[in-house]
Amino acid sequence: MNLDIPFIGVALQAMVKVIPLTILMTILPIIFGLLIAIVISFIQIRHIKFMEPLSHFYTSFFRSTPAILHIMLIYLGLPALIKLVADLMYISVDPNKIPVVVFVIMALSLTAGAYLIEIIRSGIISVDHGQIEAAYSTGMTHKEVFQRILLPQAIDIAFPNFTNLLIGFLHTTSIASIIAVPEITGTANIVAADNYSFLEAFIAAGIIYWILSLIIEYIQSIAEKRRSVYKEEF
Amino acid sequence: MDKYFDVTLILDFLPKLIKYLPTTLYILTLSLIIGFVIGLLIALTKIYKVPILNQLSTIYISFFRGTPIIIQLFIVFYGIPAITMLMGIDTSNIPPLYAAIVTYALGSGASIAEIIRGAVNSVGKDQSDAAYSIALTKRQTFVRVIFPQAMYQALPNFGNTIIGFLKDTSLAFTIGVMDMSGRGETLISSSNHSLEVYVSLAIIYYLTAILLEKLFSKVSQLTRKGDSLTTVYDLKI
Amino acid sequence: MFQAKNIVKSFNGIEVLKGVDLSVKTGEVIAILGPSGSGKTTLLRSLNLLEKPEQGEIIVGNKLINVNKTNQQDILELRKRTSMVFQHYNLFKHKTILQNVTEALIVVQKKTKKEAVKIAISELEKVGLGDKLDQYPSQLSGGQQQRAGIARALAINPEIILFDEPTASLDPELVGEVLEVMLKIANQGVTMVVVTHEMEFAKHVADKVVFMDQGKVIEEGTPHEIFNYPKQERTKKFLQKVSPDYIFKLKEQRQLQHTL
Repeated sequence: MNLDIPFIGVALQAMVKVIPLTILMTILPIIFGLLIAIVISFIQIRHIKFMEPLSHFYTSFFRSTPAILHIMLIYLGLPALIKLVADLMYISVDPNKIPVVVFVIMALSLTAGAYLIEIIRSGIISVDHGQIEAAYSTGMTHKEVFQRILLPQAIDIAFPNFTNLLIGFLHTTSIASIIAVPEITGTANIVAADNYSFLEAFIAAGIIYWILSLIIEYIQSIAEKRRSVYKEEF
Repeated sequence: MDKYFDVTLILDFLPKLIKYLPTTLYILTLSLIIGFVIGLLIALTKIYKVPILNQLSTIYISFFRGTPIIIQLFIVFYGIPAITMLMGIDTSNIPPLYAAIVTYALGSGASIAEIIRGAVNSVGKDQSDAAYSIALTKRQTFVRVIFPQAMYQALPNFGNTIIGFLKDTSLAFTIGVMDMSGRGETLISSSNHSLEVYVSLAIIYYLTAILLEKLFSKVSQLTRKGDSLTTVYDLKI
Repeated sequence: MFQAKNIVKSFNGIEVLKGVDLSVKTGEVIAILGPSGSGKTTLLRSLNLLEKPEQGEIIVGNKLINVNKTNQQDILELRKRTSMVFQHYNLFKHKTILQNVTEALIVVQKKTKKEAVKIAISELEKVGLGDKLDQYPSQLSGGQQQRAGIARALAINPEIILFDEPTASLDPELVGEVLEVMLKIANQGVTMVVVTHEMEFAKHVADKVVFMDQGKVIEEGTPHEIFNYPKQERTKKFLQKVSPDYIFKLKEQRQLQHTL
């Protein structure tokens, strides 16, 4: 096999430079997604009319369609929408000046929100019903029970799902390479095209993603150990 | 260059795209079947702690769950010719379809291995204790007692995973596969109306996923034990 | 003084409580007995409105609550004056034993942390867990967890404590330590309503025994009256089944058959 191993090294060097951008594209959507998910949880728990069915559609749509479509729809659709609104308000806005990354992050935030809702929901359902009853029986209000008994344990249960999501989104950023965002995969494409060493470039990219994923898993296992004090089943 | 969003184009695109839905489903189904076999074998090496294979499996699973699909597609697409070249076979012209199926089969194998392993573990020692006590062999115990129960419990998981794989296939076009997304790309080049194409694709993927979901929920209703929503405001208090 | 009047409750169209009355004097210990499905647990859980009956009134002290006209305020007040001990302990798993007991004191009674800790330590010592304050529930045995649950219920200083089959989940050798604690607090004059299968407890500790079957109170009276001179057929049948003599009689019958 004519594998150009030194080139893998060259490729790695080029890609390491864009790791920060990739991490940013992973974390920002999840943060925004959390905000979205919290708002939607609120809407669904309180059964707010009109918004609740919409929120179910949102969750269903963004979880049933591929992320690439989310990115494309926002990337292509939002500038047109912005232009439309700006024209109506006689403001001159050039959506082309907005960097592509921004649209990617917006799209992925919507994606993240939908997945995070499910994670939050399944965490909440899994909390031992008996403890909630006990909390109510001591005279706590809904808010107190939720904040002090339900939520902490729900977060704990949901934590592994959350780190899986984090890793998943790290991988999802690679889709942005299709619209020329210079993150890891995009850089791999550039480096490979220059040298026709496609296999080596993508092996290098694979190594980087793999290591980053392993790091996230490692952090999770440490966090698990810390919390396992009270999780041991007797 | 006027680029109005033309809703009527969607009606035009939908049938053209749906023509390639079978290709997408073909990729999905074939890779799942192969993936299931791979996943089962890998799960077995881990469950029965087969030396060497056990560790190799761990690395295999870690790689396929630690790298993005696009990267996997490219590595397999460029890697297969490189490997077969060693054996003197020139496969640089293989249709991308096969590279895609290989990639998805390997990837789904990793996920399925984990699902099977988790399900088997959750069946519990009691069952195997009982089986051994009536003199069933290890193999009989696995095939007749453990595996059926594990599959029964894992059904809901499988459903979700399959829909996940459907979404993964949407990236196959990056190595030139002419599935539904691939057709979408050619439509974009020929019509210059990319947004409408993506909207049409979104509609088709969404409806397909919903259909699959309904299918799985019918199946998993046999196993569902009755969820009770325990959010604070749903408690009847 | 605690009273429940005419409690009616259905689940899925099935009437589980068909108009039940219960009255408890201050300092009284009441044992509720009955077969499964008699509604005794549902009745208990209606007393602090964990189950919301369709009809009925609850009177705690001087406050009357009509279950059809309750608001959040009423419910909270009822729960501030009552507390419950659960079959599966239901301790807050993410908090230490000490924190489990101080939780309601700080959050509901708005006590300062210092006060709350002082009260909690005292209650936990009373149930014999003074050396386990910083342990988590998962680190304790069933009996210890239940005693912690009792301490949690006591610390609130309620007017009445409701016990939902407190020893039903415990290994036999752990039942004793929990019953001991319950006897101790009964002697201190705590008002208790206990749904239980422990006949000896009902016989020797309760002031009043209530026998329920199929959603109704069949008979009530002192333990002496109920266990020795039951008036109703159903009561008699039930007592037969749960008495140790019953198994003995079965054994005798078998031996008779063998000799024939």
